[in-house]
Amino acid sequence: MDKRYKVQVKDLHKSYGSNEVLKGINLNVKPNEVVCMIGPSGSGKSTFLRCINKLEEPNSGHVYVDGYDIADPQVDINKVRQNIGMVFQHFNLFPNMTVLQNITLAPVQLGKMSKEEAKKAAYHYLDLVGLREKADANPSKLSGGQQQRVAIARALAMKPDVMLFDEPTSALDPEMVGDVLEVMKNLAKQGMTMIVVTHEMGFAKQVADRVVFFHDGDIREQGTPEEVFDHPQHEDTKNFLDKVLNV
Amino acid sequence: MQSNHWKKFITACIAVLGIVIGWQLVEPQQASADEPTYTFATNNTFEPFEIQDSKGGYSGKNPGIEIEILKKIAKHEHFKYELKPMSFNGDLQALESGQVDAVIAGMSVTDERKQKYDFSTPYYTDGVMMAVAKNSKITSMKQLKGKTVSAKSGTSAALFLKKNQKKYGYKIKYFDSSNTMWNDVKIGNTAATFDDGPVLQYGIKEGVPLKIVTKKPIDAQPVAVGFQKGKNLELQKKINDGIEWLNKTGQMKQIIDKYTKGNKTAKNSAADRTIMGLLKTNRAALLRGLWMTIELTIVGIIFAMIFGIILGVLGIMNNKLAKGVSSVLIYIFRGIPMIVLAFFIYMGLPNVLGHKVPLFLAGVLTLTFDEGAYIGAIVKGGFEAVDKGQWEAARSLGLPYGKALLQVIAPQGFKLMVPSLVNQFIITLKDTSILSAIGVMELTQTGTVIISQNMEGFKMWLIIGVIYIIIITLLTWLSNYVQKRMA
Repeated sequence: MDKRYKVQVKDLHKSYGSNEVLKGINLNVKPNEVVCMIGPSGSGKSTFLRCINKLEEPNSGHVYVDGYDIADPQVDINKVRQNIGMVFQHFNLFPNMTVLQNITLAPVQLGKMSKEEAKKAAYHYLDLVGLREKADANPSKLSGGQQQRVAIARALAMKPDVMLFDEPTSALDPEMVGDVLEVMKNLAKQGMTMIVVTHEMGFAKQVADRVVFFHDGDIREQGTPEEVFDHPQHEDTKNFLDKVLNV
Repeated sequence: MQSNHWKKFITACIAVLGIVIGWQLVEPQQASADEPTYTFATNNTFEPFEIQDSKGGYSGKNPGIEIEILKKIAKHEHFKYELKPMSFNGDLQALESGQVDAVIAGMSVTDERKQKYDFSTPYYTDGVMMAVAKNSKITSMKQLKGKTVSAKSGTSAALFLKKNQKKYGYKIKYFDSSNTMWNDVKIGNTAATFDDGPVLQYGIKEGVPLKIVTKKPIDAQPVAVGFQKGKNLELQKKINDGIEWLNKTGQMKQIIDKYTKGNKTAKNSAADRTIMGLLKTNRAALLRGLWMTIELTIVGIIFAMIFGIILGVLGIMNNKLAKGVSSVLIYIFRGIPMIVLAFFIYMGLPNVLGHKVPLFLAGVLTLTFDEGAYIGAIVKGGFEAVDKGQWEAARSLGLPYGKALLQVIAPQGFKLMVPSLVNQFIITLKDTSILSAIGVMELTQTGTVIISQNMEGFKMWLIIGVIYIIIITLLTWLSNYVQKRMA
């Protein structure tokens, strides 16, 4: 475990039956770094992201977050997860609660804040995503883009050091994508460590410190946006970029 | 908000539970002053030995030969008694399992039974008689070849029929109560019925449209009180002393004559037999039965919900053992017919436990396990139907399994379950009628008892059926209202 890194992944393997989806991944993420993961569907990038907070159990290898190895059964995964925010493709807001309750649930239940503090914090994050007036609304009354921004606020309310985004704009109508990306850009500017699985190449180009190209369960190529987008070294990368950029 | 509702609900459940348990604990103590209390199994349709009044009890002026005898003996020998009216078969099983201390139900003393039970001094001689429909041409057993005859299972009439089946070539149909058995003869399903002489005589005197064709009682046998072999010797002695005293003082003959000679017991034969009249006469009994049905339903549903939620939660856990336990329990209790489960708990378990299971408790346990298994399957399905993303979102925030389940999954799951649960509650209400088989005096059993006195099967079952429809309609309305409020 290297103290310089916020997230350190070592030789991570994951299979579903005989199908190996991750074939020994190594990746280090420094504090404040924004890493965008791109690649064809089925290349393993989402599975990799879900291994970082143990939503998927790795078969072997190590994932260190803040110095805790999540593969170690001695480590209390619930504690580690409190420091890893996650945003899902389908938002996954709790439909049985209001927007405000969605955000205050975890901080209050986990004893991080009193009810009053949590409410204050919730309004702060709702301001950040521009949805203060929706605090008492039911999630089902919001548009997809609004729901995703609430989901981001919900994750932020736990004051995580790392944020994981799993294709956060894939399920959105095109006109909603901009608002969500704007929120993410602001987060990046404020120095949040972020790992983002995305198909938004423009966002990756503009915001990422590093772009990681996944292919067939492995990292084929990585580097600065310029390196990967403008001077791709690997044939697979070129093919992929040809397909997504020249539509 | 949500969690507040649950808290209120759970508090309410615990309160009801506490009341019921408290009541169960307090009730038996009221009976036990300084005199010992014995429990007697008896027959609910066995005139003239036992005659229940319109409230289903024996507190009327003519409670029957054996009840009057017991009443006198109890007073003379200083003990208290509690009566459990059941079918005769139920009486015997209850005695064997120790649910009761003795059986007083026109029980004839046979050699076979003597091996199994102890008997008191006989107080009556009883023989089997054959009766046919009023317009039947059958006059002797020789005419029964190929025909169907009936007797109550476990009675000496049944033994007699079995013994002579080859000789006369009839088919035997067994019943649990005289009333249904006689009715079967009346409507022509069975050619002849074999029952205890005095029972038949009394019934015919009260208006049953049968006639007795036997001249002399067949297999005349003495009637006595039965006890578990070698147990309750103290009670046996008290009963024997009492019978001796009754014989000596001539009271025994008085009591028996009252029911078999003359017209002293003639009941209110001119009573109102319209539906309104029947409702009026049997109002108290019906209300008591209805209340017992409601009580069983409510307490049963509460415990079945608790059991079902436990099964459901075990069933969705990421633990093979928990999952296995849940599926096996659901499989077993859904697989056993409820009536078998009731018999097992009420009459089977006491053999192993060594003490009796109170009737109400046995009923509630039966409902808990049977309905609980169905509710378990519903709860499991409801939780599983909640989007997997909800689990992931909750867990990724750092919420532990239990908190994620309670705060996020359960409220959504229960909303999905409500229609199935309501359906199960209605089934539970109807299923309480099955508990009449072990003698719980709920609505159905109350109906059986009332009909055994007035023989108004059609009208009474109509009344009972309508009562069930009414309470089920009310329950449906209530649940629709709750569902609307929840939406």
